[in-house]
Amino acid sequence: MENKQKAFSKLIKDNQGLIIKVSRLYTYSLEDQEDLFQEIVLQLWKSYDSFQGNSKISTWMYRVALNTAITLFRKKTRQPQTDELQDFHSKDYLEDNDDKQQQISLLYKVIKLLPDVERAIVMMYLDDEPYKEIAETLGITEVNARVKMNRLKKVLKELMIKHA
Amino acid sequence: MPNTDDFDIDSLKKTWQDQEIADGYDQNEIESMLNKKSRNYVKYILWISVAEFVVFGLINFLALFSDNFHTDFTSILNRLQIRNQNEVEFSLDKIYYSMKIFSLLITGVFVVIFYINYKKINVESNLKKFITHIIHFKKTVNFFIFSNIFLLILFIGSFTSFLVFIINQQNIHVDNPTFWGLITGVVFSLLICIILILLYYKLAYGILLKRLSRNLSQLEQIDSERL
Repeated sequence: MENKQKAFSKLIKDNQGLIIKVSRLYTYSLEDQEDLFQEIVLQLWKSYDSFQGNSKISTWMYRVALNTAITLFRKKTRQPQTDELQDFHSKDYLEDNDDKQQQISLLYKVIKLLPDVERAIVMMYLDDEPYKEIAETLGITEVNARVKMNRLKKVLKELMIKHA
Repeated sequence: MPNTDDFDIDSLKKTWQDQEIADGYDQNEIESMLNKKSRNYVKYILWISVAEFVVFGLINFLALFSDNFHTDFTSILNRLQIRNQNEVEFSLDKIYYSMKIFSLLITGVFVVIFYINYKKINVESNLKKFITHIIHFKKTVNFFIFSNIFLLILFIGSFTSFLVFIINQQNIHVDNPTFWGLITGVVFSLLICIILILLYYKLAYGILLKRLSRNLSQLEQIDSERL
């Protein structure tokens, strides 16, 4: 049991970037972000036995993380209105000390303006997940995932210009 | 300030993927998370559903072994001055026990469906399946509650109709205040019960299931959009 816990925590530590991104995209305060991170880790732990060796790590993690963030997690804080939406400075990321970090912050800010499902599509796309994987994770067709993403690119560009 | 010409998502992919984690969690912090309590939506839905099942199941079960109904009914028959009470009670007993057995059978079937639907909820499913299974699971419980309300109406309706039939058969005056008092009481308490149950559902599940339904319709909308 102890070895299993150690192996699991190492796996999570090495792949925590994905969970942090999901947690940051679906919450509006640091407290909620940490709670969501913990809930995702717990759900991953519960399904760890059935996962082992059955699928790609990223496939398993995306499914559990997104299902938890979109469906299982109950936020403590209310969702802010569009005009007051700010991406909080996550403790998990470096401070915005250059253009790249500013771009990342802006990306989070505008992605959070999208509905839950569209956020998932954009995140997986940015992480270079193939459309087949995006479609299978969300339960939509591959063609529709592709069409939706193409439309979202235009929406995101407009939002970024507006919020820059 | 970033250059607005660079706001092309594809050109930001690399920046996104390279974002650095300044202060991530270490292995000990992650291990300690495994001992913390999960606070998720489905758990709340499951607890509330189990409580509803237990309450309604217990009401059914206790009613089956309760003699109160029999005593109350005998007193009603006396007050309505109905003759041949033994025969009437014998017929009523037959209806009563058939309906109770039917109601217990329905509960049994629902317990099995409830369990099967709960087992289908798997956090590793795709998002659409996951939401659909949670909604199906909740619908089973809702259906159970509504079937209980329906049975209650059927139960009370049958007894009231039977009483009216006997009263007509024995030519008893229908302006008997006990009779009208009984009918008004039955209708009034039924209405109050139904309104309270519906109000509870609107409050408890309207909030819980709103977000699930919204996300499911988003997924369905993506799949139904014209290419």
